[in-house]
Amino acid sequence: MSTEAPPDTGVGQWHRLDRRMLLIRPVLDVVKSLPVLIGTVILGRGNGWEWFGLGVTALTVLVGVSHVLTSRYRIADGQVEWTTGLLLRKHRAIPLDRIRTVDVTSEPKHRLFSLSAVRIGTGRHSPVQGTGNDQLVLDAVSQTEAHRLRTVLLHRKEITETAPPPEQIVAEVDRKWVRYAPFTLSGLAVVGAVFAAVWHFAHQLNIAPENVGPLRDLLDDLANTALWLIVVVAAVGLLVVVSLLSVGGYVLSFWNFKLTRESEGTLHVRRGLITTRSVSIEEERLRGVEVKEPLPLRIAGGARLTAIAGGLREGKGGDKGGGLLLPPAPVGRVHEVAAEVLRENFDPATVPLNRHPRRALTRRLTRAIGGVLLLAAALFGLAWIDFLPSWMWQVVLGLVPFAALVGWDRYRNLGHAIVGRYLVSRSGSLARATVAIRREGLTGIVVSRSFFQRRAGLITVTAPIAAGRGGYQVVDVGESAGLAMAERAAPGLLTPFLRRDAQR
Amino acid sequence: MSWAVGTEVVQGGGVTEETLSLRPPANRVSRRAIGYWTVWAAVGWVILVAAQAVFVFTSDDAPTWLTVTLTISCVLAPLHLLVMPQWRYRIHRWEVTGEAVYTQEGWLKQDWRIAPISRIQTVDIERDPVEQLFRLAKITVTTASAAGPVKISGLDHAQALALAAELTRTTQATAGDAT
Repeated sequence: MSTEAPPDTGVGQWHRLDRRMLLIRPVLDVVKSLPVLIGTVILGRGNGWEWFGLGVTALTVLVGVSHVLTSRYRIADGQVEWTTGLLLRKHRAIPLDRIRTVDVTSEPKHRLFSLSAVRIGTGRHSPVQGTGNDQLVLDAVSQTEAHRLRTVLLHRKEITETAPPPEQIVAEVDRKWVRYAPFTLSGLAVVGAVFAAVWHFAHQLNIAPENVGPLRDLLDDLANTALWLIVVVAAVGLLVVVSLLSVGGYVLSFWNFKLTRESEGTLHVRRGLITTRSVSIEEERLRGVEVKEPLPLRIAGGARLTAIAGGLREGKGGDKGGGLLLPPAPVGRVHEVAAEVLRENFDPATVPLNRHPRRALTRRLTRAIGGVLLLAAALFGLAWIDFLPSWMWQVVLGLVPFAALVGWDRYRNLGHAIVGRYLVSRSGSLARATVAIRREGLTGIVVSRSFFQRRAGLITVTAPIAAGRGGYQVVDVGESAGLAMAERAAPGLLTPFLRRDAQR
Repeated sequence: MSWAVGTEVVQGGGVTEETLSLRPPANRVSRRAIGYWTVWAAVGWVILVAAQAVFVFTSDDAPTWLTVTLTISCVLAPLHLLVMPQWRYRIHRWEVTGEAVYTQEGWLKQDWRIAPISRIQTVDIERDPVEQLFRLAKITVTTASAAGPVKISGLDHAQALALAAELTRTTQATAGDAT
């Protein structure tokens, strides 16, 4: 049987993974076991260890090959079934009506033969346990098969015509948006990772940076240069490198970005230059949107848009960015797209919000300044016992005004509102985020009050929801106002448990 | 639209003429829960104090600060054991109506959780050995959200069984997949 079977005979039959993976998988497996192979062959020469290394590699390749050969899947009796394994057999079945997302990714290894990995996700939401047990990965199938699976699984119907289903373009990336890339500081993580890797490697090989020729000359030169000049040059250099990397990252991740709506009520995101990614979100499962404005991006007038939807993968590594609806773009455009995605006339995240009481400002300032002061005190203590140089605590102490500014900005950004179907909450300064969630998605209300909040007459209201982060908070709202908001957010739910006192 | 006026918030066009607060849920947990919380807290303190005491009395050069923390622990332990369980008993409350499960818990940080019956996915009963000793049980009601589980601990076992059965019945009666 072949995966190239005509698409309209697909139901009920067993399909295999694409055989072309047999050419790719072994190579990748060998590359993956290179550390073991090199380690055992070089270090264990002559005492039999190299056979161990070869054995492990052969086993890895064998497991990979048998995975490709034995994996089979079919869609029948209202569920998608999947079996794999030669010695250890695995079988998994997911009812079709539990499938929420179909995520199609083509990494470079796949693109070599026009293949795609298909991830089928269910609505079960557990960010703690991960999604390992309730998702199914088909790595890999041909791109036509991936398209067929997406249509069959999400719309529960076979492709009858060969033409692609009609779709309406909601948003496309604009080349000019690349200017927002440096403000995402995404390159900083790359610089940090590279620096850490080089440092670790040098340390492992016992290379002290000051003993390397060119570096040594550089250090000698630096010793004769003014400190401020070094700081300025280093800062400018870092800024340039980070900006370049961020632009590169933006282009790699968001090139050909396209957000479309298909007639069956599915949002479809396609993006990527080398690794292409395609994510489908059932509109029925859309619970809201989140507008993210990290401080640098906010200063540049940009923002990012994320979907809050059931079953959408949101996490680290490969799961990161599953819900992305718009890459860093002008904030006005973000709100337009948000309104369009939610099928509203305006983006609920733009409405004026109810401010939180002044007592929340005190708490924000106490936290921001207190944190910095604690750090300074700890560094001072370490400097006092001659463990650290004393300029460190002085620098940290110098950050206090900035901490105060951040605290004030955090207070200024706090806000909540109820607009039509939506509960809107905004918070944060360095990473400001505004969420608008559909009230009918709430699975209850959680009200919490810490010891200090109690003294200030404040509460934190959490709106639990089976999507996104699992719950969204309205932080430090006045008790009465917060409860009034919660009562309106989930009509009737809170009413029997509320006590009403006439205004004093 | 709505705007803040002083510290009192005007909601959605209508002025709130009243202050709202949550009333405590109707039912207390079993009185035996006091004993249960005391036992668990005591276990923690015994381990902490014993570890420090062993080090102070057997080591030749135990640091002075360890003696200080040991003394502090010995003073704090009985206070905590006397105050915490009573305090908790006064705060931990629960209520189940036809529409919702409502709990109040915590002691320094308090939580009020309300879950609509229609959104309940599972009802679990759990009993650790100490709970079995005190004939107590803990009910966990989960919803589809990770932030929403409602726990009632320190319930009388028989009462917990009846409650879980009732909740399961009402949950089954409601349609939909609760997400």
